[in-house]
Amino acid sequence: MSFIKNTWRVFRREIHNFRTHKTFSLLSITLPLVGLFYFFILLDKGVATDIPIAILDHDNSTMSRKAARMIDAAKSPSVQFHVADMLEAEHLMKKGKIDAVVELPRNMEKDLLSAKQVKVTAYINGANVTKNGLLDGDIRTVMYSLSAGIETQTLIKKGFSPEQAYDMMMPVYLEKHVLFNPFINYGYYLLPLFLSMVLLIFILMSTIFTFGVELKNGTAPEWMETAGNNVFSAFFGKLLPYTFIFTILTMFIGTVMFRFMGVPMHGNGGMVLLSSLLFVMAYQSIGALIITLMANLRLGLSIGGGYSVLAFTMSGMTFPQMAMYPAIQTLGKFFPLTYHMNLFVDQAMRGAPVRYSMPDIYALCAFMLLPLLVIPRFKKICSDSKFWGKL
Amino acid sequence: MKRETAKYRLQETWSILKTELNYIFHDFGALLILAGAIVIYATIYAFAYQPEVLRDIPVAVVDQSKTASSREFIRIMDATPNINVAYIPESLEEAKDLFMRRKAYGVIFIPSEFEKSIDTNEKTYFSIYADAGYFLMYKQVFLDAAEAMQEMNSRIEMKRFLMAGIQEEQAMAVTEPIVTETRNLYNPYGGYGTFVMPAILILIIHQTLLIGIGMVGGTWHELNLYNKLIPPDREKMSALPIVLGKAAAYIGISIFTCTYAFGFHYKVFGYPMLASFWNLLAFFIPYILSVIFLGLTLASLFRKRENSLIILLFTSIPLIMISGVSVPREEMPYWLYEMGKIFPSSPGINGFVRLQTMGASLKEISSELLNLWILTGVYFLTACIGMRQVACEGSKQAACEESKNKIKE
Repeated sequence: MSFIKNTWRVFRREIHNFRTHKTFSLLSITLPLVGLFYFFILLDKGVATDIPIAILDHDNSTMSRKAARMIDAAKSPSVQFHVADMLEAEHLMKKGKIDAVVELPRNMEKDLLSAKQVKVTAYINGANVTKNGLLDGDIRTVMYSLSAGIETQTLIKKGFSPEQAYDMMMPVYLEKHVLFNPFINYGYYLLPLFLSMVLLIFILMSTIFTFGVELKNGTAPEWMETAGNNVFSAFFGKLLPYTFIFTILTMFIGTVMFRFMGVPMHGNGGMVLLSSLLFVMAYQSIGALIITLMANLRLGLSIGGGYSVLAFTMSGMTFPQMAMYPAIQTLGKFFPLTYHMNLFVDQAMRGAPVRYSMPDIYALCAFMLLPLLVIPRFKKICSDSKFWGKL
Repeated sequence: MKRETAKYRLQETWSILKTELNYIFHDFGALLILAGAIVIYATIYAFAYQPEVLRDIPVAVVDQSKTASSREFIRIMDATPNINVAYIPESLEEAKDLFMRRKAYGVIFIPSEFEKSIDTNEKTYFSIYADAGYFLMYKQVFLDAAEAMQEMNSRIEMKRFLMAGIQEEQAMAVTEPIVTETRNLYNPYGGYGTFVMPAILILIIHQTLLIGIGMVGGTWHELNLYNKLIPPDREKMSALPIVLGKAAAYIGISIFTCTYAFGFHYKVFGYPMLASFWNLLAFFIPYILSVIFLGLTLASLFRKRENSLIILLFTSIPLIMISGVSVPREEMPYWLYEMGKIFPSSPGINGFVRLQTMGASLKEISSELLNLWILTGVYFLTACIGMRQVACEGSKQAACEESKNKIKE
């Protein structure tokens, strides 16, 4: 009974601190909201369209112009320059004006009409892998369908009926299935990643800050006293206000993503919500661990900050974990974001049965045990004045 | 008289520079961010991205046809660079389980009538369930499956055309009138590290300088050092020596960090280095100066040591995104991309990638260089204004304390 009472007292004390020092609200409300809205705006469109490219047309025929028009009509490329030679194209690319140049060969039309094979080469800037992939896919697809059209015409000219020609061509076709919902919208998978990044940075920073400031100002004994010298009351009372705030932010993110930005939800929404809550608490636990070990506000923030940003790469959402060295893959297991993202992909995008996501839930729970390891040190830094008042 | 003042200012600048450096080297936290972070981050990120490419993604193929044709098709798919047919499960259910357990990252289904349809001149299909949760894997599995399909089709069509009496050499041109080849420039294998590391390194320099300068600035404020540095015969420090003295200290640190990141680290990990030393110098001078002056401007706003870290740390990912790396600039609102140019990171990343990875000339990155020089000028002015404000506050406090002391006396 006294445990709840003590926790409540710490909770009230924290609310009081929160109100008197604006850094607390800056860290847990203002800056996270700024970050979230930034990414809502950044990823609202979700797909890159009209990436400028150039055409080097050696043929200048009806056929080559048709090819250029078809490329221009595709989603990602936009033909904005017609260049006279490769040198001009290279200059434009190095100036950042174009990301690809498609070379249409001399005698393209003539050769195609006389059933000779023609080679088209697309030179695509590889310095940006994302754009490169988009342009590569689109240019190939366009040229493939142009090629198929010519094939039909050639067959008809050779005396086949259009139906026969159709039957002979493309015997095997690809059927994209909706079972696992392959959405190509770039935003759908980047959005949850970026938004979770914003949250985790501030969950860590606010936890480290609210613990560390007690040390910096030497108010740790007062805090412990309010908690009736119960470590758990001190922890829970202090962290709960932020657990509430960040859970509300999580729900806000979910609402915006699923309701307004069209992110699909094919699995169990409750699991995503549960995972978000555990995600908040897991990072709070890590924050508590870091500041207790460092016992210094600034150092804690530096280490926590360094750790938080790494989660982005380690989660494997951009460059897959599978491709990384085993040592780095193992390192990736020490970031709650990895599990939260796995669960998100499983539930929201793949619609996986709940049982497949349970390991992720257990892993997130395991992070919450971390502060238990440092309870003795925590007691020590709260009672020994040599840890206080440092900058 | 004028010469006296100039000499005096120079002395002030020198004393600020000495104090700043002395301070940084005695402050583990600041040193960790200003010099240590680049070493730690560069190494971790470089190792994470060092495999460069993802190849042989495990895929499960459900072959209900079990015929020569379907096996030929499976071999074609397996031969593509990105697809590795790791499992051939009996049922779609089994395949789905492999997929959900993250053993396979794509499922391909070949129907039972596959060969029969091909033999009877009918159309048949194959289905692909690719993993859209991981964009890179999705793209690679999907593109390679499509490529395998084209290969399979041309083989079948060739047979059909030959049977229909078309001559062999012509049949080739008929099945594939246009051969499209794509070549990656500047990054032939589409390496991920080669793509992101230059941008990451430029950004780390940016962020560690901003946070470090802000942290030291905040500490000076907490310790009231600005006040203590005021020469005894003067009322307050003027802004220019503070800005120049501090900037000189950070230029010194940047020479070390840039040499490490863009010399040593670059060589060890083998990223493309197409720019000459002088071109790099011409780029880094305005880049470093604009970052330092922006840092000093921001530092004048921070009253506490930890504020710079709290406020600036989270801007790292938004800044790299706004530069158009990772999220292409064509994907974001036009105004947002343009707004990014008020930070040195945007022209810095774009200019550097083109200069170093693509081998552009200084003329070809002139718009980025101009952008950086404008920022240098603007932030130099704002830094002077900011520091003047700080120095004034310091002097007021000094005056205040003096009067307090007088009262005590």
